[in-house]
This record gives sequence, structure tokens and C-alpha cells, in this order.
Amino acid sequence: MIRFSSLRGRLTVLYAGLFGVALLATAVAVTLSVGGNARHQVEKELAAGGAVFDRLWAMKASQLADGARVLSRDFGFREAFASGDAPTVESALTNLKDRLALDRAFIIAADGTLTGAPDIGEAAATDLWHALDSGALSGVLRISETPYQAVAEPIMAPQLVGWVVFAERLDRKEMASLESLASIPLSAAVLTRQQGAPWLSTDAGRAAEPRLARFVDVRATGPRPLATDNGEAVALARPLTVIGEKADAVLVLRYPLNLAMAPYHSLLVTLVFVGFLGLCLLVAGSWLLARSITRPISALDEAARRLRDGEDAHVEVDTGDELGRLADSFNAMAGGIREREQRITALALTDQETALPNRRALEAAIAQADPAGLYIAAIGVDRFPQVRAAVGYRLAGEMLRQLALRLGDLRPGDLCARLSSERLALMFRAGSPAMALGQLESLVEALSRPVRVDGQTIDVGLNAGLAAVAQAHLAPPAERASIALDQARKSRRAAVAFDAETYGDPASKLSLMSEMLAALANGEISMAYQPKHDTRAGVVTGVEALVRWNHPIRGFVSPDMFVGLAEETGHIRALTVWTLDQALRDQAALRLSGHDLLVSVNLSGRMLADPEFATLAIDRIAGAGGRICLEITETAVIDHPETAHDIIDRFRAAGIKISIDDYGSGLSSLAYLKQIRADELKIDKEFILTLDRSARDALLVKSTVDLAHSLGLQTVAEGVETAESLAILTAMGCDLAQGYFIARPMPLANVVDFLDEARAPAAPKSRKA
Amino acid sequence: MRAVFLFLLLVLAPVQAWAGDLAVTVRDSAGKPVANAVVTVYPASGIPKGPIRFAWPLTVAQQNIQFDPFVLVAPVGASVSFPNRDKVQHHVYSFSAGNKFELKLFGKDESRSVAFKAVGVAAIGCNIHDQMVGYVKVVDTPFAIKTGADGVASLRGLPAGQVTIRVWHPWLRAPKNESSMAFALPATGVARPAISLEIRRPAGGHMH
Repeated sequence: MIRFSSLRGRLTVLYAGLFGVALLATAVAVTLSVGGNARHQVEKELAAGGAVFDRLWAMKASQLADGARVLSRDFGFREAFASGDAPTVESALTNLKDRLALDRAFIIAADGTLTGAPDIGEAAATDLWHALDSGALSGVLRISETPYQAVAEPIMAPQLVGWVVFAERLDRKEMASLESLASIPLSAAVLTRQQGAPWLSTDAGRAAEPRLARFVDVRATGPRPLATDNGEAVALARPLTVIGEKADAVLVLRYPLNLAMAPYHSLLVTLVFVGFLGLCLLVAGSWLLARSITRPISALDEAARRLRDGEDAHVEVDTGDELGRLADSFNAMAGGIREREQRITALALTDQETALPNRRALEAAIAQADPAGLYIAAIGVDRFPQVRAAVGYRLAGEMLRQLALRLGDLRPGDLCARLSSERLALMFRAGSPAMALGQLESLVEALSRPVRVDGQTIDVGLNAGLAAVAQAHLAPPAERASIALDQARKSRRAAVAFDAETYGDPASKLSLMSEMLAALANGEISMAYQPKHDTRAGVVTGVEALVRWNHPIRGFVSPDMFVGLAEETGHIRALTVWTLDQALRDQAALRLSGHDLLVSVNLSGRMLADPEFATLAIDRIAGAGGRICLEITETAVIDHPETAHDIIDRFRAAGIKISIDDYGSGLSSLAYLKQIRADELKIDKEFILTLDRSARDALLVKSTVDLAHSLGLQTVAEGVETAESLAILTAMGCDLAQGYFIARPMPLANVVDFLDEARAPAAPKSRKA
Repeated sequence: MRAVFLFLLLVLAPVQAWAGDLAVTVRDSAGKPVANAVVTVYPASGIPKGPIRFAWPLTVAQQNIQFDPFVLVAPVGASVSFPNRDKVQHHVYSFSAGNKFELKLFGKDESRSVAFKAVGVAAIGCNIHDQMVGYVKVVDTPFAIKTGADGVASLRGLPAGQVTIRVWHPWLRAPKNESSMAFALPATGVARPAISLEIRRPAGGHMH
């Protein structure tokens, strides 16, 4: 089965095929009928031709007989012949032969002697005599195998004394004259043979064509088909009487069928022509009809494809039929779809709260704009959650809308969008990154005016991040601008451009985490210990355990980085457990070498939200019999106060000391100091580093130390880098000092050396830095 | 007449003393009697001298566009008359060797005579009427007669002993339409030989 890709082709081929079959059947029927008719006609004509030939043959015989009779009845001739007057007889024969234009004329006497036929042999003469004697006076006579039509007339003087024989050659000429008398263009031929010998053609001595000979051999009188070199013919064989020798003669009338068919050729040609014309008209007609049907279908098909692709899908079909109605329905449907689509698109690209384009709309606009000289600014409201918590969601949103309106007023023509709950974005063009940053800085300044919402005035602190669209980076421009905003906040600047280096690579960060887990196992991550110096006793009483990662490729990886990352990615627990275990092992090792030190381990705020970890840590520490101080930052407690306090209490109950780390930075609150039952307060190094230069810092440290002591907490100063600082702290009554001046963080082995050395009388001050 | 008859008897008496009679019956191959067959007998002792006379008139009349009789036996040298008894004219002829003649047109009741000088057969015809054919059998023996409708030819007073009997008929299929046989004729009584011959009417002719 042929598969058509178009309805038009299928209809055209179907109609044309059906018509073609009908036409073929008609042509076959007509050809068969015509052929049969023609054959029948030819057979009739041939039969008639045979009858005509019989008459002609008889007529010719009669003419010959008449001529012969003239001679045989002539008294003078008879007298001459009877009296044996040979010269007279011969001259009379010649005379009549010439007058009648005969081929042959001769006499055979009753005693068998011949006159006027020297080429007839004695045997042939005897045969002829017997034939004539038996009364066969007319028929085919062969002389030297050449056929003649011969007629004999007896010479009566008054009894029979001989016969006058007149003969005409049955040659091509004779056949042609016979043919010319027939009503149809048949061809005639006489075949003769001596009985038992092959057939000979009319022309003397030539063998008859084999097919013809076989045809003649079948003794049948009716018209029969005969194959010839010129195609099939219908032929008729009529036996002829032979006088003389024992021989056969037959007249063959042939009529080629193609000649008979000739009159019908024009009919067949006309039929074929008309059929072909009809076929062409039908193909054209059905093609046109099919096209009128399929054109609207194709248009609908095309429109449906456009609809799928989201293009204009209106289709023009102005016929009033089913297809026209289908097209109308289709158009209505396409219109409905388009309308809904536009609505959905509008919804999808608009921020409902502020009616600004949303982040998706911004990204679409970025994608369509020329990236050269194009910048995206992310403008964020500082401490938005707090503000929102203070004024409520509605007013916070209103505030953002006001800011957006203000932004729109300041930058008419530039696209303003809402990037996230507290961030706006602006797409603008600038000549260079520096110019862009300059524009953004002044913009932030212009925007940073209090906003009036519902009669209230809200102060807004704004930061902005800038990203160049043309900059090649994995993160999309809007995201980069947002990151830049984070960076601006961190660096407390009004506006900064996106810094790829600071941001790093999130993908490499992720791989860093998997590498970190491997590093914990293979020893790339190791512990370093920084001694804590007891200012009163003047000896090292403890060490802070610090993780160090010497990466084979990256080199030294900052703990701030990978610890922070571990916190963000949820790997902090593994890191912390490892650190704790290592610290306990190392503490045991130190104890064996004679140094019993309190080991401080930094504890991530995340761990204070993890009761399971607390259980685990308490078990491990108790199991190892360790003396551990856990250093926590006060901000870590803020996120999960209840849980954190519980866990801190459990640690303390287990004999584990708690130290508040980095006190003084961040949101240090007296409330926390009250709530957290810590053993130690670690003053942030920012205060200590400038202690020897800043009186104000010294005052803060002094009051903090006093505060801690009054709350029953030990104090530790970090970042002690000079002898002056140590002296000041010692004077202030700070319990412990830690810093480069005391000792840098060092591997466990060095710690033993360091402690052994410190037991010697030399003071810590004399230590090399 | 009686005196003449007696005279003849006397003249022939010596011969008659040792003469016999012959009655030849001629039949065709189908056994039917053949009329108009001319039987001639030639004794081994030879033919008697003297003129030959026959008991029938030497006349071939033309009557009803036919020759009558069809066959006439005539002695050699005899004159045969051809009287015309038809209302039409006739042109009687013969091309037979030795006896050629032509009697140009002659009318009713006219008679012409022709002397037949050669022994043999003179076929006579009429140039006007092709169907008219007749024969004059010219013989040189007194022992000659043609058969009647019963096919019998009777001869008397033949010398006994070896004889040659010849039978001629225009339709006899034999050389010169004649057949001969040797026969021993007894001195007394009537010898009755029967001869069977092949007789065929000629084809293509116009004869009765």
C-alpha cells in the first residue's frame, strides 16, 4: 500500500487510477471486439475471394478453351493435322498463340506425339496423354516444374485425333492480376509439388516458405490463421486440379490482419487520444478539487503549527462549508488561547505586590538586549526582614513600591524590576564599568531618602551591586548583581561591582566539600594548636585546637572558607566530630608527654541546634576522659536559643567548659551574657590588636574583663601580638592571653617541644616569634 | 433370282465342299454384346481371287443429322453413295489416309458417291454437324461382316483350317481399334468363338 503524505495526491491518484482502469477495460474490450470483428470480416472476404477466384479461374479456362476450340474446329487445321501436314499445323499453332498472346500452345496427338512442345519429355507426354484421354481437359499443368493453367480441346477429325493444349503461366504477373480483381488487398500464390516432394512456389524451382507449406499440408478449405513475416494473416487454401503428372497444386489467398485492422487504427488512435485527454482532464480536475479541499486543511494545519509555536495563528478560509466553520472555530480557539496566554505571561512576568516586572521579566529583557555596555544593578534594602517585622508586610511592600517609583522617576526609560522580596533591579547602559559604578553610587545616594508610607516615615539603608551583562561568568547577570549586593553589604559600601574572585566558584565549592570529606580521612586536614598563656601563672595552661587543610593542589585552604562552607553545605558535623576526636587523641598524647592542658575546640552554631551531636560529643569526651572547652559564638545562640541553651547546659553538666568566642564583635548583648552560662569569655581580637595604641579599646577591654569577672567568667584575650599588649592585659587582670606574641598555632609535635622549652627558666618573651 | 442363286451355288460348290461356318460373338468387358464390330477373317490359305461383293447396299445416308449406318463395311475400290435425306445440307468429309474426300454442301435428296480405294478405316464426318460421325470399314476380304445388336457376326463357307480373325470397332481400345486372333476353323459345323473386347466411348468427343 502506497502511503501518501497529502490528501491531494491520494484523491488525484485514486480518481485517475479508477478512470485509468475503466479506460483500459474499454480499450481492451474495443480492441478484442475490433480484432474479432476484423478477423471475421477477413474470413468472409477471403471466402468471397475464394469464390471470385473460382469464377476467374473458370473464366480464364473458358477463354483458353475458346481459343483452342477456334483452332481445333478449324476444318483446314483439322485437315492439315489429320493428313500429317506438320508445317501447316505448326504455323497455325504459332499464328493463334501470337494472336491470343498465349504463353504456350501445343498439340498432343491421339497416339501421344507432341507438336509445338519440344520441352515436354516422353514421360510427361505419356502422363498428359493419359490425363487427356481420361477426360481431364482443364487444370494446372506443370512443365519443367513451372505451373501453367492449361486447357485442352480435342481435335475431332471427326473422331478424336489429338488435343490442342493452350496454357498460361501462373506467374507473379498472373497472381497480381488475380489480386487486383479482389475486393480486398489479398495476396495470391500457387503452390505445386510432385506427390511426395516438397511444395514449390509459383516461381519455378523455388521452395515454398516452410510456414506456408505446413499451412497447405493441412487439408482444410476454410479460412485459417497463418503466421507470416509481416505478422499474422488469415489465409485460404484451395486445391487446384492438376493434369498430367501425379502432382498437387493449391492456390493460397492471404490477407494480412494488420491490413484488415488498418481501418480500425484511426478508431483505436481516437480512443486512446480521447482516453488520454479524459485522463488528463480528470487528473487536473481531481487535483483542483482536492486542492480546494486540502488548501483550507493545509491552512489549518499550518495555523495549528503556528499556534503551537506561539505565533499568530489566524487562518483565512472564506468558504461557507464545514471547513469554513472549522476555520472559524479554530480562529476563535486561537484567539482565546492567545488572550489567556497573554494574561498568564503578564502574570508570570509581573510582581503582584509592586506591579513591577519580576525577576523572570528582567532576565527575559536581559536576554533580548545587546549585552555590550549593559549593566544590571541590584538595589537592596538593608535589614529588610527587621524592617518588615517592624512595619508589617503590607507597608514593607508599599515601601518597596515607593522606592521603585522613585527609581523610575530617577531613571526614566531604564527597566526597573523586583528581584526578590527586598531587592530591586535596574537595567541600564553605561560607557564603562567605572562610569556604571559611579552612576549607581549616586543613584543609591539619591534613593536613600526616608520613605513615607501611610503617614509614617521609614528610614531606608540601601546597598547596591553591579554586574556587567557582557562579563563572562557562569552565574547570570541578575544573580551576579545580587551577589555583588551581598558583597557590598559585607564590605559596608554603598555600591560594588561583582567580584568573581571574592565570590569564588560555587561548583568548585561543592567539589571542595567532597574533597574535604576525603581529606579528613587521608590526613590532608590536620590539627594545629595555639597555646593559651596564663597571665598570672606565666605558664601555658591550654591550647585552642584549629583545623588546617593543606590541599595538594589548592595549597593552604583558609579555615574560614571551608568551615563556613561546611556549615552551609551540612558537612560541619563530620568536621566537628573529627576535630573533637582528634583533639581528644592529641590531649591524651600530650598528657602522656607530661602536659595536661585544657583543649579548646571551636563549635559551630549549627551544632548547638543538634542534640544528637551533643549526646555524641559528651559520650566521646567522657569516654576519653578529656578536658575540653567548647568555644561558641554568641550569634550561634541567637538562631535557636531554646535548644542552644539546653545543649549548653548539658555540656556544662558533663563537665565541659563553655567559652563565648569573639565577644565584642557582632550583636554582643548583655542579655546573652546573662542567659548563656559560660565559663569563659573570649574578647575579640579587634579590640586587642590596637590595645597598645587606642585608649578607648583599652577601656572597653578593661570594662569587659571586669564585667566577665563579675559574672564569674574567665577572660581570654585573642590577638596578643606585642609585649605591650600582654603587659596591659596582665595589668587589667585578663586571665589568659593568646596570640602570635605567645605562640603561633603549631602541630602537636611542636607543642610538646614548645611546652618542654617553656618549662625551662626562660620567659615567654624571649621566644622567637 | 433363283437361277442366279443356283448359279452361285454351283460356282462355289468346290469350295463349299471343304468350307465351314463361323459365328463370332463380340462382347465388351462387361459381357454385353457389342454391335457394329467389324469381323474380318483371313484364311491362312489366302483370300479367293475375284471381286468382293457384299449382300448390303454400299450406302451411307444422312438422316436425322446422323450417318446411317454408323459403320459400313465396303470392299476396297467400291463406290459408296452418300444420299442426303435430311432437310438440311451436309458437308461430308474424311481425312483418313488414302480415302480423303470432301463432299461440299449438298442438299436434300442429292446423292454423292465416293470410291474408297484404300483398305482401312475412313472416319467420316460432317463439317457442319460435329456430332455426325460414321465409319466406312474398307476391307480386302470377302469374309467380312459387322455384328448385329446381339453382338454376333456370322460368316459361311469359310475354308477350313487356320484363319486369322480380326475384330475392329471404332471404340475398341487397341492399336488402330483392331484386335486379331488365330483360330482353327473346323471343316464342318459352325464354329462359335466368343471374343471379349475393351470398348469405351471416346471422351471429349461429340458422338452418339
